[in-house]
Amino acid sequence: MSENGNERIKPKMSLWERLYFPEILRGMSITIRVFFRPKFTRQYPEERWIPPPVFRGRPVLVMEDETGVERCVACGLCARVCPSLAIQVQAAETELDKERYPKLFEINMLRCIFCGFCEEVCPEEAIIMSKEFELTFTNPKDAIYGKDKLLIPASQLKDRLDFLKQYR
Amino acid sequence: MPKVTIEGKTVEVENGTTIIRAAAQAGIEIPHFCWHPGLSVAGNCRMCLVEIEKMPKLAIACATQVSDGMVVHVNSEKAIEARKAVLEFILINHPLDCPICDEAGECNLQDYTYSYGPGHSALEEAKNKKPKRVPLGPNVVYDAERCILCSRCIRVMDEVVKNPTLTFVERGDRVYIDTFPGKELNDPYSMNVIDVCPVGALTNRDYRFKARVWETSSTEGICAGCSRGCNINIWVRNNEILRLTPRFNPEVNSYWMCDNGRLNSFREVNSAERLNSPLVRKDGVLQEAGWDESLAHAADALKPFSKDEIAVFGSAYSSVEDNYILQKFAKQVLGTTNIDFLQHTIEGDQDNLLIRADKTPNSCGAREAGVVSSKGVDSKKIFELIAAGKIKALYVMDDDIAASKEIEELLTKLDVLIVNHWVKTKTTQLADVVFPSATFAEKYGTFVNFLGRVQMFRPAVSTLEQERVPGRFTMSRLDKFGSAFDKWNKGPRRNVRSSWEIISAVGNLLGGKMRYQSAQKVFDEIAQVAPSFKGLSYAKLGDRGALLSRQGSGSIGKKSKEEALVS
Amino acid sequence: MTIAIEALVKIIVLVLVVLGTVAYLVLLERKVSAYMQDRIGPNRVGPKGLFQPFADILKLVLKEQIVPEKATQFIHALAPVISITVALSALAVIPFGNYIVIGGQKISLMIANVNVGVLYILALSSLGVYGITLSGWGSNSKYSLLGGLRSSAQMISYELSLGLSIIGVLMVNGTLQLNKIVEAQSGWHWNIFYQPLGFLVFFVAAFAETNRLPFDLPEAEPELVGGYHTEYSGMRWGLFFLSEYTNMIVSSALMATLYFGGWSLPFVNYASMSPNIAALVQVVTFMFKTGIFIFIYMWVRWTLPRFRYDQLMNIGWKVLLPLAILNLLGTGAVMLAVK
Repeated sequence: MSENGNERIKPKMSLWERLYFPEILRGMSITIRVFFRPKFTRQYPEERWIPPPVFRGRPVLVMEDETGVERCVACGLCARVCPSLAIQVQAAETELDKERYPKLFEINMLRCIFCGFCEEVCPEEAIIMSKEFELTFTNPKDAIYGKDKLLIPASQLKDRLDFLKQYR
Repeated sequence: MPKVTIEGKTVEVENGTTIIRAAAQAGIEIPHFCWHPGLSVAGNCRMCLVEIEKMPKLAIACATQVSDGMVVHVNSEKAIEARKAVLEFILINHPLDCPICDEAGECNLQDYTYSYGPGHSALEEAKNKKPKRVPLGPNVVYDAERCILCSRCIRVMDEVVKNPTLTFVERGDRVYIDTFPGKELNDPYSMNVIDVCPVGALTNRDYRFKARVWETSSTEGICAGCSRGCNINIWVRNNEILRLTPRFNPEVNSYWMCDNGRLNSFREVNSAERLNSPLVRKDGVLQEAGWDESLAHAADALKPFSKDEIAVFGSAYSSVEDNYILQKFAKQVLGTTNIDFLQHTIEGDQDNLLIRADKTPNSCGAREAGVVSSKGVDSKKIFELIAAGKIKALYVMDDDIAASKEIEELLTKLDVLIVNHWVKTKTTQLADVVFPSATFAEKYGTFVNFLGRVQMFRPAVSTLEQERVPGRFTMSRLDKFGSAFDKWNKGPRRNVRSSWEIISAVGNLLGGKMRYQSAQKVFDEIAQVAPSFKGLSYAKLGDRGALLSRQGSGSIGKKSKEEALVS
Repeated sequence: MTIAIEALVKIIVLVLVVLGTVAYLVLLERKVSAYMQDRIGPNRVGPKGLFQPFADILKLVLKEQIVPEKATQFIHALAPVISITVALSALAVIPFGNYIVIGGQKISLMIANVNVGVLYILALSSLGVYGITLSGWGSNSKYSLLGGLRSSAQMISYELSLGLSIIGVLMVNGTLQLNKIVEAQSGWHWNIFYQPLGFLVFFVAAFAETNRLPFDLPEAEPELVGGYHTEYSGMRWGLFFLSEYTNMIVSSALMATLYFGGWSLPFVNYASMSPNIAALVQVVTFMFKTGIFIFIYMWVRWTLPRFRYDQLMNIGWKVLLPLAILNLLGTGAVMLAVK
C-alpha cells in the first residue's frame, strides 16, 4: 500500500526479464522488423483519396437539379441538433408549395465537427454530408459558408443520397 | 363541497366543478385540445377522456362535473388507450409538416403526440387536401389541413370578443373554418385566435416564419400600449423583440390582449430611430457625446436658473421609479414646483373588454409617484409660463411633448431643453442635451394601470450597460450556449440607461443625494415614502401585481411632501 | 610551420566533414525513426528528401534568436559555444586511418597524436557537462535549471563507469595513445573479444554521456518542455543540436576505435597496397564501423522509453559501477594468470 492508500502494483519479473538486456534486444528486434517492412504512406497532394459514400465530409445543401431550388424548408432542426452551434438558419416565406425556404443558411466550418447529426435529423434529406474534406481558409470570416457555397446539385451528391436511401 | 380522488390525490372542490378543473387544482394535467379555461365547454376533441370508477364508459373530463366520492383515473390502461386512439384519429388528416409549422415547439398536438401518441398510423390512404395559406384577416393566416376543428377560435370570437366572425363550413372530413360570408377577421382582438389555437392552423402574419420557438427567450412583461397594462410575454431572439403574447392574469387581461398592443407596442424598442448615445448641442448641432460629459453638460446647463425658471415634465410612458426620481429631482434638487406630465388620450378609442382611451401605461403611476405640482402649475400653465418667458429651462422625461406646431414653437423659446427619450422625436430635435433612455423592455420597473394595480416588468432586451446574463434575464438556448462572437448574438446592444439612473446622476452633480443601486431600491423607498405604495415590494408584486392601498390621492405630491423631503 | 599548416588543414577538413555529416545524420535519424514507425519520413525537399538538411539549416540560421529577458545574457550565449567546442575538440585525437603520403611526406590521419589521448577524451567529456549546466542556469527558467541539474548528476555518475571501463582496454593494450591502441588490435585482436563486459559498460555509459535516449533526462520533453535548451532558439539552439550529434559521432568513433579495431580490417594486408589506397580503405572501414554504432544509437532511441530518474541513478551506481570494477579486477587477474 502506498501513501494514498492505493495498492501499488509491482509486476513480478523473472530473472531473465530482470537481466534487462535480453528484453531490450527483443524490443529492438521489433523495431528493426518494422524498419524493413514495406510502407503504405499515400503521397497526399499527388495521390488523392476518393472517400466512400459512408465518409462524412462537409455538410452541403441539396439542390434539385430541375428547378434549382434547395430542398431545405428552414425548419431549423439542424441548427437545433448541432452540438457545436455551427448552423444558423433564417426562414422566410416563399410562393412555392413548400411555403418556407431558408433566406439565410450559414454553417461556420470552424465550428462544424462533422458529426452528421444535421443530416440525420433533417426531415427533407436536404442537408447531407459530402465527400469534400479539404477545407482551408485564410480568414475566420471565410469559414462561414453561406448558401452560395452550400448549395450543391443533387446529381453531384448521388453517391451519398443512394447510400442514405439504402442504409437509413 | 364534493371530495374527489384523481390519480390517488383527493381534493375538495366547489359544487359544479368539472373534472379537468379539479385535476388542475390537484396539480394533475389532463390532456385536452378543445377545452380552454377562458372559454365555454365544447367537448368535441375527446382528448380528455378519463376513466371514472363505477361508470360504464370513459367520460370527458372537461364536461363531467365532479360528485362526492368520485374516483378518477387519468393514466389507467383504458384512458391511455383512449387517448392513443383519439390522437390517431386526429392525426389521420393532420399533415406531417412540423418542420415548416410555426407552432412546432409550442404545439399541443405535437407535445401530446410525443407523450401519449401511438407513434405510427394504421392508415395507408393519402391525407385530405384542404385550403392552405388562407388569409382570414389582416393579421391571421389559416391552414385548413393543420386544423383539428376544436372550435376554440370560433368560441373566442363569439364569447370573448362578442363579434361572431368564424364558423365551420362543409361537413365530414371536408369541414374547415372560414369567416361568415362577406366578413373578415379584422376585429381589434382577432389575434387571440392564434393564441388559443392548439395547433399551427392559425398563424400570426407578422411573426410568420421569423423564428423557431426554441431560439427565442420569453420574458414576463407588461404591455405599454394603453393604461390596461395587459400582462405579456416578450419573445426575444438576437436581442430583438419578435412578438408579444398575452400572459394570464385574471385581474387584468385574463388570457387576452388586443392586436394593437401585440403588434405596435414593441415597435419603438426595435426601431431604427433609437437613440444610441447621449447627444449634446455644440455649435447649434446635436453631436454624440460620452455619458459623463453629457451629464456634466446637463448639470451645468441647469445650474444658472432659479427654481421658478425651471420646469420638469414626467411621463406616463416611464415607470413609477423613473417618475419618482424625477419628482424628487425637481422638488429636492431643483426646488421647483413646476412639474406635470402629459396625458395621451384618444377619446372614444376604448371598449368594454381591454382597450382603454388612455394610451399610456402609467399615467396613474406617474400621478401616484408625485409628478403633480403642489401649487397647481400644470402642463397648460407651464406652457403659458414658457410663452411668457418666465420658464427658461425644461427637463422632459421620456415623452414627445412637441406634438403640435404651437408647442414646437414654444420650445424654441427655451434657453435650455434637456430630454430623455428612446427614439428620435420632435422634442429631441429641439433639445440641448438628449439622453437615450431605456424602454419598458430594457429595464426593471413598475407600471400602475388604470385600476390602480401595480405591476412589475423586467428587462427582456439587453443593453450596453446590462449584458444578457443568467439570473437577470431569461435565456434561450442560443443565449446560454452561444458566445459573444456568434452572429446570432450580435443584435444591437443600445447605449441606453433607465431614466431614473440618468436623472439621479444629473441630480447628484447638482448636489442632490440620490444614490440607488437598482430600480428595486428606488421602489423600496417609494414603498416607505408613499402611503399608497405602503407594504409593497418587487417580491410582493410577483407576476400578478398588487393593488395600491389608496388610490388617486397623488400621495407623494400632496400629503407626504414632508416625509419625502426627510428621506 | 608545416606542422601548423598541416594541422590547420586537417582541422578545417575534419570540422567541415563532421558538420556535413551531422546535417545528414539529422536526416538519417528522421528517416530511421520514420521507417521504424511505418512512415517514410521527409521526402519533399529534393529527391527522396535528400536536401532536407539544407532546409533545416537555413531555417535554423534565419530563425529569430529569442533570449529571455531575465536570462544571464553572457552565460546564455556562452553555453552553446562551450558545448560545440568541447564536442568538436574530442575529435582531435581520433585516428581515421594510418597515414597518407603527399609529396613524399607522411601525413598521419589524426589531428593530434597526443600521447595521453584517452585521458584527453575523458577530460573533454567531463567539460561537456559545463555547456549543459550553464545553459540551464543561465536561462533563468525552472525547466532549464532542472535539466541542467539532472545532466550534471547524470554525467558525473556515468563518467566513473566510463573511465573505469576504458582502463580495461588500457591494461590490455598498455598505451594511452589511440593510434597505438588501433595498431595493437590489428588482425583479429579486437578488444571486444578481450573486454566484452568492459564494452557493455562503456556502451551504456556512452549513451548516458551523450544524453541520448533512454538517458535523455536533461531534455525530457514530456516533463521539462525541452530541458536545458528550453529557452534557446535559432542557431544557439542549433549549436546544442550540433554538439549532441557530434558527441554521438565521437562516442561511436571511440567505440569503433577502442573495441572494434578502429580503421584496421583483420583480413587486409595494408603493406601490399600503396599507402594512399590503404588510407582510403582504412578511412572507409573506420566510417563504416562508426556508422554502425550511430545507427545503433538511433535504433535504440526509437525503441526504448526514457528511464525514470531513480532508475537512472540505480543503473549508474548499483549496476554499471560494480560491473566496471569487476571487469577491472577480472582483467587484472587474467593478465596475472597469463603472465
